[in-house]
Amino acid sequence: MHITKSASELQLHGRFDAHEIQLFRSRLEEAILSSPNVRVDLQDVEFVDSTALAELVRGMKHCREAGGDLVLVSPSDPVRIILELTKLDAAFIID
Amino acid sequence: MTGSNFSAYRQWAETLLTEKPRYSVVIPAYNEEWRIVPTIGAIASHMSGLGEPWEMIVADDGSTDTTVELVEELGLVNLNLLIAEQNGGKGSAVRRGIFQARGDVILFADADQSTPIEQFGDLLAKIDEGFDVVVGSRAADGADVANKSGARKIFSYGLSAIVNTIFRIPVSDTQCGFKMFTADAADLLFRRQVVDEFSFDLEILFLAGKFDLRTTEVPVAWIDAPGSKVDAAKVAIEFLRDLAIIRWNDFRGLYANDNHTPPSPESSHEATSGRQAA
Repeated sequence: MHITKSASELQLHGRFDAHEIQLFRSRLEEAILSSPNVRVDLQDVEFVDSTALAELVRGMKHCREAGGDLVLVSPSDPVRIILELTKLDAAFIID
Repeated sequence: MTGSNFSAYRQWAETLLTEKPRYSVVIPAYNEEWRIVPTIGAIASHMSGLGEPWEMIVADDGSTDTTVELVEELGLVNLNLLIAEQNGGKGSAVRRGIFQARGDVILFADADQSTPIEQFGDLLAKIDEGFDVVVGSRAADGADVANKSGARKIFSYGLSAIVNTIFRIPVSDTQCGFKMFTADAADLLFRRQVVDEFSFDLEILFLAGKFDLRTTEVPVAWIDAPGSKVDAAKVAIEFLRDLAIIRWNDFRGLYANDNHTPPSPESSHEATSGRQAA
């Protein structure tokens, strides 16, 4: 996976799994320093595993604690289905 | 995948097939509560987008965690969950899944999605060319392997060398958990399979050679999924033991076409209760 970053939006590409957690976390921390409202673009993500889902939840909590929120943007269909199956679609704001 | 393909997923998830599936995807699962749901989601997304009737079979292997409950709660009507009362080994779980599969083409795929389902079409193309067995390979030219530990690389290389020397199996990676069969080939092979542990793949490929099935391999992308249950040292010992068992079984004529008494699907399911997850 690789991440491209602009202001308060992270664009993820590829497979988001436990191997990528540290990279995501560090990019998210940087983004929160700019703004606690962070958009995470999942349009080009092929797969998220449970560890990555947990990390997204952690990130959402962190954003909310900072007075903002974490928004999932345009999740790809596999990610959308995984969010539904895990019922996490109800926990996130999805744009 | 387009919006219309998402609709196809919804249709698959909510409407029971009224026709024979073209494809069956078998997923063996032992204590996979942490990984199984994303894998099901990824596979359902891709397979539904192919536009052919298909079914998913999750063959539990006596899980002691919440794997079974999680899969049941998904409520996917074309997902057939096979529950085992006790752990019998990955080979037994795959066999139970294969025996329940109704598709013309059957894929078994590991529960960790280490070989992404997007490569289904690459293997299917070989089936369409006339092959009976198609093996996803991490060792063939063109394979893309990520995050594999040094120990596992050495282990894989050693296994490959032994297998090629002793069994002359014409594939470079016998153990990748991503293999495709025609229905007829699967029936012939898995009715003779007796190894239930890690080496069942080796036995299946040995049998494919013995019965002159057309077998080939396809290079795949493979990502070492975190949480792998493979203990390389333990598996190596078991593997060597199973090599001897397979040779001995063959010597005794256990696999022979004419005098073999295959395990019946029914007896293989004695400890299971296949049911729709609902």
